[in-house]
Amino acid sequence: MLRASIEYQGNEADVSAVAGGAESEGNNPVVHGRELVAFAEAAVQGDPASLESARDALREVVGSAGLVDAAGVVANFQRMVRIADGAGIALDTSVGMLAEDLREDLGLDRFESAGRSGDLGPVQRALSPVLRRLAHFGFRMMGRRARKRSAVS
Amino acid sequence: MDYFDYSKRADPIRDDLVAAHRRTWEHIGVAGTWLNGVERVAIADETRRARGCALCAERKAALSPFAVAGEHDHAGVLAGPLVDVVHRVTTDAGRLTESWYKSVLSSGISAESYVEAVGVAVLVISVDAFHDAMGIPFEPLPEPKPGEPTRQRPAGARVEEGVAWVPVLGPSTCGPEDADLFAGLPPGPAPNVIRALSLVPSEVRAWHDLAAAQYLSARQMQDPVSPRAIDRAQIELLAGRVSALNECFY
Repeated sequence: MLRASIEYQGNEADVSAVAGGAESEGNNPVVHGRELVAFAEAAVQGDPASLESARDALREVVGSAGLVDAAGVVANFQRMVRIADGAGIALDTSVGMLAEDLREDLGLDRFESAGRSGDLGPVQRALSPVLRRLAHFGFRMMGRRARKRSAVS
Repeated sequence: MDYFDYSKRADPIRDDLVAAHRRTWEHIGVAGTWLNGVERVAIADETRRARGCALCAERKAALSPFAVAGEHDHAGVLAGPLVDVVHRVTTDAGRLTESWYKSVLSSGISAESYVEAVGVAVLVISVDAFHDAMGIPFEPLPEPKPGEPTRQRPAGARVEEGVAWVPVLGPSTCGPEDADLFAGLPPGPAPNVIRALSLVPSEVRAWHDLAAAQYLSARQMQDPVSPRAIDRAQIELLAGRVSALNECFY
């Protein structure tokens, strides 16, 4: 979803901050990405002092409403991971095909929960890059059209 | 008691978030499908106790969480195996295994009670995580309401290889009474995460309700334009980083 939303905005999708964190050397194309990642990290790690400073820094750049929305998203995904792990769900095939490259790039296979999701079959593996290119093209087109529409209006 | 009065907070909290938190507390306090109100509130309480539980901390630090025996710091309301479920889901969910899940079933907890316990636990964890993130003290837990569980198991729920450990429903296996669980999704197979708790449909509904306020509704998820004060890429960056820190492959 992150890659899709970055491509929708017309930027090159570098999602390395997801795995690398606030100090990631990759180019984080998300506006205020560093503050957002630092806030997410402090919230998960739960140290009150670093959380307070991350909260202040994020509020400074996205405002109070943005901070509340960010806290909501963090809270939601503290739940989602536990639903996935508690029910022992496997990755959907379609998501696996779209994100096959990310497994390696982000080192996701090192997670114990990766064991629940089998490898793609040869046909799925062959189709995976095609599907990704189509999705990439689709998101960029959608974004371009939306930007044109908002420029006209 | 009026729960979730955020009116004195420096950062204004959206009305729909306040309302969703109140509905979540109401939902936790009443009898569910397999557990009564006392058990559900006790599960909520155990999610908070797990944060300071010495056994959970020791297991978290161990190479294998199954190599460390002991007793959790618990309130004494729930049976031991159910306490263990709640504490493990709260503190080390990424290292749960199917064989552990099967041992839970062997201990006498039904798959239905297990799913409901996970459903209740994750609601509390999520509301508490919001409070943590905003620097707001935790809300007192709801008072349990009297009543009996409905014990209505969806007829079509079954274990599906390659989907989940627990029995699940899907759009083609659910009855009309549960079709709303899959409403608003794009065409194609329903995502496994949507099906995960579907053995207890009321927990899926409670989860969707809270998610629509904290994150996005199913329809909003399909729209790359954000209805929030932060844009969609910012939302997904937060989601991705939190998931990675929790070692969530999904």
